[in-house]
Amino acid sequence: MKKLMTSIAALAMTTGYVAAQSAELPPNIERLQSMQSTGVKDFTVVEQTGAYADGIKKTLERIKMPDGFKIELYAIVPDARHIAVGPQGVVTFVGTRKDKVWAVTDRNKDRVADEVKDFAPSLTFTIPNGICFSPDGFLYIAEQNRVLVFPAAEFFYESPDVAVGQVVPQGELIPTDEESFNHTARVCDIGPDGKLYISLGQPHNVTPPDKIQKYMDTGIGGIIRMNTDGTGREVIAQGVRNSVGQDFDPATGDLWFTDNQVDGMGDDIPPGEINHMTEVGLHYGHPWFGGGDTRTNEYKGEEVPVEVTMPASQTVAHAADLGMVFYTGKSFPEKYQGAIFSAQHGSWNRTTPTGARIMVTTVDAEGNATTEPFAEGWIDENGEYLGRPVDVANLRDGSLLVSDDLTGALYRISYEK
Amino acid sequence: MIRTKLLSLGGIFLAGAVAAQTAGDPAEGRKLARQCSTCHGIDGYAKIPIAPHIGGEPANYIASQLTAFREGTRTHEMMSVVAKSLTDQQIADLAAWYSDHKATATLTGDAAGAPEVCVACHGENGIGLAEDVPNLAGETNIYIDTQLKAFRGGKRTHAVMSGIAAGLTDEEIRAAADWYASVKLEIEAAE
Repeated sequence: MKKLMTSIAALAMTTGYVAAQSAELPPNIERLQSMQSTGVKDFTVVEQTGAYADGIKKTLERIKMPDGFKIELYAIVPDARHIAVGPQGVVTFVGTRKDKVWAVTDRNKDRVADEVKDFAPSLTFTIPNGICFSPDGFLYIAEQNRVLVFPAAEFFYESPDVAVGQVVPQGELIPTDEESFNHTARVCDIGPDGKLYISLGQPHNVTPPDKIQKYMDTGIGGIIRMNTDGTGREVIAQGVRNSVGQDFDPATGDLWFTDNQVDGMGDDIPPGEINHMTEVGLHYGHPWFGGGDTRTNEYKGEEVPVEVTMPASQTVAHAADLGMVFYTGKSFPEKYQGAIFSAQHGSWNRTTPTGARIMVTTVDAEGNATTEPFAEGWIDENGEYLGRPVDVANLRDGSLLVSDDLTGALYRISYEK
Repeated sequence: MIRTKLLSLGGIFLAGAVAAQTAGDPAEGRKLARQCSTCHGIDGYAKIPIAPHIGGEPANYIASQLTAFREGTRTHEMMSVVAKSLTDQQIADLAAWYSDHKATATLTGDAAGAPEVCVACHGENGIGLAEDVPNLAGETNIYIDTQLKAFRGGKRTHAVMSGIAAGLTDEEIRAAADWYASVKLEIEAAE
């Protein structure tokens, strides 16, 4: 009963602020907001057992981790990208770079998902990669060029018709002439200030000169934040090439984020980055720097017109550092408490592939960050990928979920003494 | 009416495009394809959503696109980087390797739902009906959507496609993309 009340209150709130927005609503959003049925009844349900699942389990047997850790198949989730674990622990949502968001439920709490189905099948999504929860259960979905909010998503997801509001209407997240498919896997988080933080990748390998000012003004190639009703938008980080992972340090409230660096400069430069945002408004160097202190060929020798913040930790070139999370559980050994776990997706054209593993970053008392491999083995002896990790998330029992968009799966990493 | 016009336009363009091809060696192409395979697969069945399936694509189409990426007339953050250093011979070899596979498409919906404006060249099932026409079967809908918008906005140009895309709304683009994405594609690897 309490749950239902909360949902209705949340819905009323959402309807209130959405009504204030002027942009024309897509038909199904309009229907859902007046609490009408869209008539869509069918879910796509994903088979969880069989030969395909068995093949993934076999791969997981070869993953190497520190003693005491184990990794198991949690769910088959096609194209699995970024993960948002529901604050009530009812359901985990998973974004994709296609058109679906998946709802993953472990009903019997045996730490293996029982049901995977698409979320809000009556709505048309476009690259719904960025997905995050507020502590009070509002699910945000940052798409290519729109941001939607789903109040009480953990309650409404059981039905094809959900409560929905628009935070940023279609076409207003970035100028439409900057829409692209690559570098458009957005990530989002609700910060300690209650604002919505969204990364906006810039679509080029190296931003061309005529785009620099436009991108700095709009927050493309950076991170923006806004109130959860879409007002008060600000650019809070610039000079970011394509960040596909971020999280707030629960101890300090600071934002940390990964960034993917420039291609075409050789196998071993420039380094990948894990960045620390100690204050709002910092510039992280792109396009003058291609990663770390490596200057890009395109801007070599030019004076850098901004003050640049160097990464807190540098990672191996081209490994593609994507999703990251501060470990908030208690079940892992002390060394890992409060550490950053991050996913390297793996290189795409390096002569010898690198990455495709989970990294752990610890920060010492002086603030120095050290990054080392935590789970690896997804590249076989022929240099072929057996999996490509994308994101890492905390489950409430102190274990971690890892998504993989090559196999289309979630894995669960747990520790037992 | 539209259909007839398209066919004739396509015919004129294709006659021009088929000329001047370097002969490719698929075995050499296979070696080079290692640097393509993380995204496009070694057999051309793409492994990531942003990459199109290129197995069984006409050699002319693959060669013309790689050349366009190399020359800068088509741009993409990743493809522009990899195509930059390719020679004409390497492009021909890659085109020979990927075109050697066989692409088979199976409809999952009623053929009447196929987008009328596309079928003259791309077929109802998204298998290209002429030499410079890419297969669309089973591509990620967002890939097709992105390309149609690139044609419409002028970021990508083509004698036929630029004109067609210019007249499409966002909804028509997405509907066409959804149709071809729904087709089941299988790629039979070449020996």
